[in-house]
Amino acid sequence: MVIDTQIASFFTAGSLIIIGIFAALFIDNLIKKVIGLAFIADGVNLFIITMGYKAGGIVYIFLPGMTINQFAPNASYPLPFALVLTSIVIGASTLAVMLGLIIVLYKKHGSIKASKILGE
Amino acid sequence: MNPLIPIMVILPIACALLLNLFHTKERTVKILAIIVAIALPIIPLIANYGLHYFGGYAPLAQNPTIAQGLPSFITSSALNIFHPAITYSFESAQRLFIFILGLIAFLAILTSLSETKKASGVYAFLMFMGVAAVTAILLTDDIFNLYVFFEIAAITQVGIIIASKIKGNYETALKYMILGSIASPLLLLGIALLLGITGNVNITDIVYSIKNGLVNPQNPVLLTACGLIIFGWLYGSGLPPFHTIKSAVYSKALPHGAALLQAFSVFTLVALGIIIFRIFSYLPFAKVFIIAISLAAMILSITMALMQTDVKRIIGYLAVGELGYIGLGLGIGTAFSITAGLFQAVNEAIITAFLFIGFGTIIYKTRESDIRKMGGMMIETPKAALLVFLAGLAMAGVPPLNAFQSKLMLIQSSLNAGIPELGVIMILMSIVTFMTFMKAFYAVYMRPKPRDLEIKNEKIPKATLFSMIVFLIVCIILGLFPQVATNFLQGLANSLIV
Repeated sequence: MVIDTQIASFFTAGSLIIIGIFAALFIDNLIKKVIGLAFIADGVNLFIITMGYKAGGIVYIFLPGMTINQFAPNASYPLPFALVLTSIVIGASTLAVMLGLIIVLYKKHGSIKASKILGE
Repeated sequence: MNPLIPIMVILPIACALLLNLFHTKERTVKILAIIVAIALPIIPLIANYGLHYFGGYAPLAQNPTIAQGLPSFITSSALNIFHPAITYSFESAQRLFIFILGLIAFLAILTSLSETKKASGVYAFLMFMGVAAVTAILLTDDIFNLYVFFEIAAITQVGIIIASKIKGNYETALKYMILGSIASPLLLLGIALLLGITGNVNITDIVYSIKNGLVNPQNPVLLTACGLIIFGWLYGSGLPPFHTIKSAVYSKALPHGAALLQAFSVFTLVALGIIIFRIFSYLPFAKVFIIAISLAAMILSITMALMQTDVKRIIGYLAVGELGYIGLGLGIGTAFSITAGLFQAVNEAIITAFLFIGFGTIIYKTRESDIRKMGGMMIETPKAALLVFLAGLAMAGVPPLNAFQSKLMLIQSSLNAGIPELGVIMILMSIVTFMTFMKAFYAVYMRPKPRDLEIKNEKIPKATLFSMIVFLIVCIILGLFPQVATNFLQGLANSLIV
C-alpha cells in the first residue's frame, strides 16, 4: 500500500507533537524534556510545510520564459515555507535559552532532575 | 503610508540593539535609554491614524498597475482585496494603548536607572525589546507576525527575570519557558490551521473569509484553531491555568521590571483577546468560555493573593485577578462592556505598575519582600506610604480614582446584558482585593517595626517618587474624566460587534 506523502507527513507531525507533549509533561530529566519541547516545535513546523505541499505542483519561483498563467495555478503555496523559516529561528533561540538555563541550574543544584530543581 | 507607525516598533528595537552594543558605557546607556524612553509615549500621540504595509504592497484593489498584468481568476476573486503584505493598523484604541505602554515603560526605565547604582545596558535592552514586541502585537493585523512578537515578548520576559538576580529566578524562568514551549507551538498550530483553511494570515482577510462564506464557519478545523489560539492567549496573558507561573514571574523580577512585565501581560491579553473576538465571536461558546475563564482568574488569583506572604507575589496575584475584569468585558460582548473592559485594561496596567513601583520603595529600603518580616515603614517613608495607599484604593475601585469608573461600567454592562450575577461577583472580588491590599499595607507600613529589620539609610530616589506621582495624576484624571480614555476605545468596541 502506498501512503500519500501529505497524509504520511501529517501523521508524522501529529506523532511528533504528541510524543513531545508526553515528554514535556511526564519525563523528569530536563534535557529530555527540552528534546520533547523541540519535538513539539518540529511537529508544528512539519505540519505547516505539509500544508504548503501541492501534488504535481511546481516550485514557487517565477523562472524566465514562464507565463503567469502557467505559474499561478501550478506553483505550490509559498507562504507556509516562509513562515516555517521564521518559526525555526524562534525555536532555535528559545531552545538555546532553555539549555543555557539548564547549565546554570545544573551548576547550582548538581542535578538535571525537574522534580529536584523545579519542585514538580 | 505613515512612517511613524513602524517607528513605534523600530525605535525601541534600534535603541535596544545600541544599548546592548554600548552596555559597558554607563553614561551612554543612561542618556540613550532616557531619550528613547521619553519618545515612547510621545510618538503614538503625534502619529496619524492609518495602515502601514511592510513591503509596500497594498491590496490589488488599490494597486491597479500591478493588477493589470495578472490573470482574471486572481483579479476577479477575493484575492483582489486581500492584504499581501504585513499590515500594521493604527487606530484610536491603539493610540491609547501604546501611549499608556510607553508611559509605563518610560517611568519603569527611569525608576530602574535611578535605583540601580550601575546602569545595566543588558537590562535596558530587554526592557526596550519587550516594549517593541508588545507594541507590534498591538499594531499588527497579521496573525503570524503577532506570533513572532509574542515569542520575542516571552523571551524578553524571561531575560528580565534572569537579569533581576533574585533568589529562585532561574528556576522560575525555566518553568515559564517550558510552559511557553508547549503553549507557543500550539498557538502556532492554531494559526497554521487558520492559514490552511482560509489561505491567509491577515486577520482582516481571515474575518472576511469566514463572514462572507468563503469557508464554512462551523468547520471542525476552524473550531480546533479557536481552541489552540485561546490556549496561547491564556499563556500570554497569565489567565488560568497559567496564573500561578505568571505571578511567580512578577515576584522574581525587580519591582520596575515587574511593573513593565504586568503591562506586557495586560496588553497581550487585550491584543489577542480582540483578535479572538474578531475571528471567533460568532461561536456562542467562545464568549461563554471567556467569561468562565475570567471568573476563574478573578476568584482563584484574588483568593490566592490572600494567602501569600511575599509582597510582590501578592501584587502579582492581584494583577492576574484584575485581568479577569478585562476578560469579563470582552465575554459579555456588548459594545459598552467591551469599552469598559478595554478601559479596565488601561487602568489596571497603570495601577499595578504604580503598586509594584510603590512597594518597590520598601524593597529598596529594606532588601526584604516578606511581609512577615516588615513593619513600621510609615515613619520611614511617609510620602511613599501615602502614594501606595492611594494606589491600593485605585485598584479596589474607590472613587474618584480610575478603576472605579471602569468597574462601574463593567457592573452596569453586566446588568444591561441580563447577567447581574457577574456584577455581584465583581463587587465581591473588589472587596476581597481591598482586604488583601490592606493586609499587605498594614503589615508593611502600620504595625510596629520588627527589631531585626534593617533599614538602609538612603533616601528613596526622587525619580521613583516622580513616577508614582505621575501614575497618581493619571489615575485621578481618568477617574474624574473617564471619557478621556473611553472616547478612544468606543470606535474599536463598536467595530467588534458589527
